[in-house]
Amino acid sequence: MDKRRQVVGKLKFTSRLALVILLVVILFGLGADLFAFHSPQLPSGPALEGPSRVHWLGTDDLGIDLWAQICQGARISILVGFGVAVLAGIGGGLIGMLAGYYGGCIDRLVMRTIDLMLVLPDLLLMIVLGAFFGPSISNIIIVLSLLSWAAPARIVRSRLISLKQEQRVTAAYSYGAGFWHLTRYHFLPELLPLLMVSNIKLVGKTIVAEASLSFLGLGDPTAKSWGIILNHAINFSGIYFTPYWRWWVLSPLVALTVLIAAIAVLSRDIEKIINTKI
Amino acid sequence: MSQGLSRKIIEYALTFLVIVSMNFFLPRLMPGDPFTFLSTEEGSITIIYTKEQIDRYKAYYGLDQPLLRQYVTYLACLGRGDLGYSIYFNETVGRIILNRIPWTLTISIIALVLGGLGGTLLGSLSAWRRNESMDQGLYLIMIVCSEIPTFLVGVFLLFFVAARLRWFPLAGGITPFANFKTGFARFNDLAAHAFLPIMTLSVTRLADFYLLARNTIINVLTKDFMRTAQAKGLRKRRLLFRHALKNALAPVVTRAFLSLSTVFNGAILVENVFNYPGVGRLLREAVIVRDYPLIQGVFLFMTVTVLIMNLLAEVVYKQLDPRVN
Amino acid sequence: MEETILRVKNLTVIYHGGKEPAVHQVNFALKRGSSLGLIGESGSGKTSIGLAIMGLLTKTATIEGAVYYQGTELGSLSVKERSSFYWRKIAMVFQNSLETLNPVLTVGEQIEECLRRHTTLTRVESKEKVKELLIKVGFDPARGLCYPHQLSGGMRQRVLTAMALSCDPDVLIIDEPTTALDAGAKNEMIQLLAGLHRERKFALVVISHELPVIANLTSRIMVMYKGKIVEEGKTKDVLKAPQHTYTRGLINSSPALNPYRDLWGIPGAREEATTDGCNFFPRCSQRLESCKNIPPRLEDVFMERKVACHRGGIVTLLQGKGISKSYRFKGKTIMACVDCEIAIRAGEVVALIGESGSGKTTLAEIISGVLAPDAGEVFFERERVSGHNASARKNGLQIVFQDPFSALNEHFTVEQAVREPLEILKLGTLVERKALVKQMLKELQLPGEDEDFLMRRCYTLSGGQRQRVALARSLVLEPQLLVADEISSMLDPSTQANMIRMLKGLQNTKGFAMLFITHDLMLARKIADTIYVMRQGRIIQQGPVSGAFSYLTVRDGSRDTLIEK
Repeated sequence: MDKRRQVVGKLKFTSRLALVILLVVILFGLGADLFAFHSPQLPSGPALEGPSRVHWLGTDDLGIDLWAQICQGARISILVGFGVAVLAGIGGGLIGMLAGYYGGCIDRLVMRTIDLMLVLPDLLLMIVLGAFFGPSISNIIIVLSLLSWAAPARIVRSRLISLKQEQRVTAAYSYGAGFWHLTRYHFLPELLPLLMVSNIKLVGKTIVAEASLSFLGLGDPTAKSWGIILNHAINFSGIYFTPYWRWWVLSPLVALTVLIAAIAVLSRDIEKIINTKI
Repeated sequence: MSQGLSRKIIEYALTFLVIVSMNFFLPRLMPGDPFTFLSTEEGSITIIYTKEQIDRYKAYYGLDQPLLRQYVTYLACLGRGDLGYSIYFNETVGRIILNRIPWTLTISIIALVLGGLGGTLLGSLSAWRRNESMDQGLYLIMIVCSEIPTFLVGVFLLFFVAARLRWFPLAGGITPFANFKTGFARFNDLAAHAFLPIMTLSVTRLADFYLLARNTIINVLTKDFMRTAQAKGLRKRRLLFRHALKNALAPVVTRAFLSLSTVFNGAILVENVFNYPGVGRLLREAVIVRDYPLIQGVFLFMTVTVLIMNLLAEVVYKQLDPRVN
Repeated sequence: MEETILRVKNLTVIYHGGKEPAVHQVNFALKRGSSLGLIGESGSGKTSIGLAIMGLLTKTATIEGAVYYQGTELGSLSVKERSSFYWRKIAMVFQNSLETLNPVLTVGEQIEECLRRHTTLTRVESKEKVKELLIKVGFDPARGLCYPHQLSGGMRQRVLTAMALSCDPDVLIIDEPTTALDAGAKNEMIQLLAGLHRERKFALVVISHELPVIANLTSRIMVMYKGKIVEEGKTKDVLKAPQHTYTRGLINSSPALNPYRDLWGIPGAREEATTDGCNFFPRCSQRLESCKNIPPRLEDVFMERKVACHRGGIVTLLQGKGISKSYRFKGKTIMACVDCEIAIRAGEVVALIGESGSGKTTLAEIISGVLAPDAGEVFFERERVSGHNASARKNGLQIVFQDPFSALNEHFTVEQAVREPLEILKLGTLVERKALVKQMLKELQLPGEDEDFLMRRCYTLSGGQRQRVALARSLVLEPQLLVADEISSMLDPSTQANMIRMLKGLQNTKGFAMLFITHDLMLARKIADTIYVMRQGRIIQQGPVSGAFSYLTVRDGSRDTLIEK
């Protein structure tokens, strides 16, 4: 807790702002129903209405309130982003630790798999797996986790291997310390910050991946994510030549850009702090 | 050297086998009977397959035969270059993909070359003038560029450059039904259509190579051998290009080969933003109409291309860095 | 032949972000064909001088002073003009590491590019020249196509040398030419460089912390400490008889120059150096209070020797001139000492060796003022020794005797015994005296904190313990010179070894000088800086123990007879 406060204390102004943005998005996402007074699924006014006091961001071609959709989209982005980060971060971290600690056959197998995972275009895999198994939100989270564990696993593994060669670990090992002791006192304190940075980056990457997928119209058709709003908007014929894009296209676009920029700034800054500390 | 290479090739062959097997098992692992899926409604487009078509699918996948037999048959077909038959397009998968490849490869390769060269040059310059205002400004811009998702860049360009300013056509790879008088006019039309997709793809590449080159060269500049070279009174041009850049060449060129997978990701998005008739757009069409053999064909084409590029990357790295041997 | 090629004037280098100058007010001049060695511990600023001369520090440091090449000040040149001097006239062999040469260019290309830049040779001619150069440095020219990582350390060193020689420079700076090499390659390299220097007659600057390299390649030497030159002179003379305590410490630390002796490094700083005083003040064994505040200047002490020391280099603490002494025994006159000359410098261990009856104890007693000589004089700190004037004071001269049993009053307690001199001289308060006694005993590895031990009577102690108590009694007055007369001869070998190591350790850290009297040459060789050999009352040999050049004479003179006794 104390350490976390230290890290927060060292953040620059830009990343404090980024942190605030991230928290706001999480708040709106989780409390979507509280902050939006209209349904994100059903029409609540005339179609293609500009921003007004009733519909803060206007409505789409079916008369559905856009602010409600954006809040709903925030929820999906947060859900997918953090869900994958937790699943892939913990899973990948664990795999990386086991591979790095035990070495040998397991390590080689894991490394080969990691190499393969890092090589393949992830959007392609997502589309293909989505096509075969159905693109529901839970499937997307699972598929993205399956595709994303490799990066944290590799980072954790290589750090663990270098830690294993440090003499304090050799010394502890020679006193008979087992995997759990070493992990608790020697590995985790070093690995957690790395894993944290890698997970924050993963959140950003995942949000982009989900948005890309639904932007292509290949995501979960029932979930109103930002990608899907954008997809509907630019597939509306003649959107370029009407004024509708000003609220219909811009709102998801700005939301996505701001969130991703916030996460990028935050992860870069935290990484810098951690690197100088190590 | 040759031993290491052959080991690498075996490794890649195994990886290839894994991918092919994945491709084989995917439809067979689908929840429920895959072909009930085929005739359900999906999104706004409704695809209804007739009984006859479903039977053809079943025959194609050979689902009535034992798994091992299916697998062997599948491998044999692949060996002959037979990727299956697309019912929706009523043509062999191989031929459909082959028709689309030039579109995708053209924009991918041009974007890669543009982004790679531009990024490396800007990155070297930035490293050479480190901490000057030009470097600081470029660095900030490039960091932003490297984080923005490709399709947002695409949408942005589409809106402002194509729709608002009307400098470039909105969609497609070539003006439909146009009758070009000269080859030059045809080329012009093709270039106009390809310009924005290429720009979109290049932005991310440019930022990526810029950051890599800047980092690598800043690192190289601190090395002792640069001091040696400087002491020898060599000209700046030779210091930067022969001594510094040659050291940075190996990672940069390797990255060029390795980034094909990212470029493909980008191409899938960009082609769909601009309705560009490449493999990426084909993939989306295939998914929407649930044309499974076609999906698998595209998947195989892209993964195998990426794998080959990776193998090339390793070979090239060995050529460029004399220390690896 | 006599023109000055390179002149460095008041060169000062301050790295950006650093407070202390890495190089401070360095001056030297080199003539064609001459050579200069720079030695010093790592971080003493040797390499910075080389880099500053080469104009490589302009971006990372502030440079003051000037470097002249035949009258042209190099710092004032434009970038364009510089290229006709650097590498063409002044070249440098950089310290060898895997990263000194560009890893992705062939070594041939890296030599060739110097020629292409600085000469008018065509491509073909320069390729030819590269081959010649490589042959010259003993490198197979066919391997010019190799990359640096494919070569051994010795091969790379040759490439670096060929590269520096490529434009036939007038001044060659070599930084640590042998660090990455094994013993055989080291010798080859030294031979090669010496040969090239003879043949090409360039002015040579060798930077190294390895004394043998400097000794073999240079005729003059400069010793650096924390950016300042502390001693300068002819290489041979400086290594044989260093005048600065730091130089002596460096020589004592060199395994190559001390093949038999135990190695003792220069003790670390006991306190922070002051900014305006002598840099070496915290580690110096002969410092004065004034050294703390006034920086010493590099000044001539005698011909061809400069030292930066307020005391004019290592002071001669004790000088014995023409000392003679005879006893009458049963009607016969026994000449115990005949015209003996002896000099002991500050912080130095002098061993006086000889068989029993050779007169060494007599000499020691005369020196300490215990015995009066028949003829001759002894000076301690330029003051004539008579009676106890040198020993009855703090920071004076103390003697420890051979027999620990008779040297201590058996009925004294340990504390009383050690405290005795303090009481006689009325030094300090009672509390201070006790604290001093305790500390002294602890430094001699006796249980000084233990009250029971302090109250023990001396007769209950073993021989080894008594000798330590006797030493403590002498050292409590912080002498500048300790005369130790066969102090270990009555101890068993193990106790002796412990005692000698402890004493030498104390000597090294406290920095007092010691006259160590023994009949054991091997023992003397382990700890002494200088050896005097006595036989039948005469000093028949003397010289530094360090270095092969000094030892041979001692061995021929008396080793065998002494050992056999």
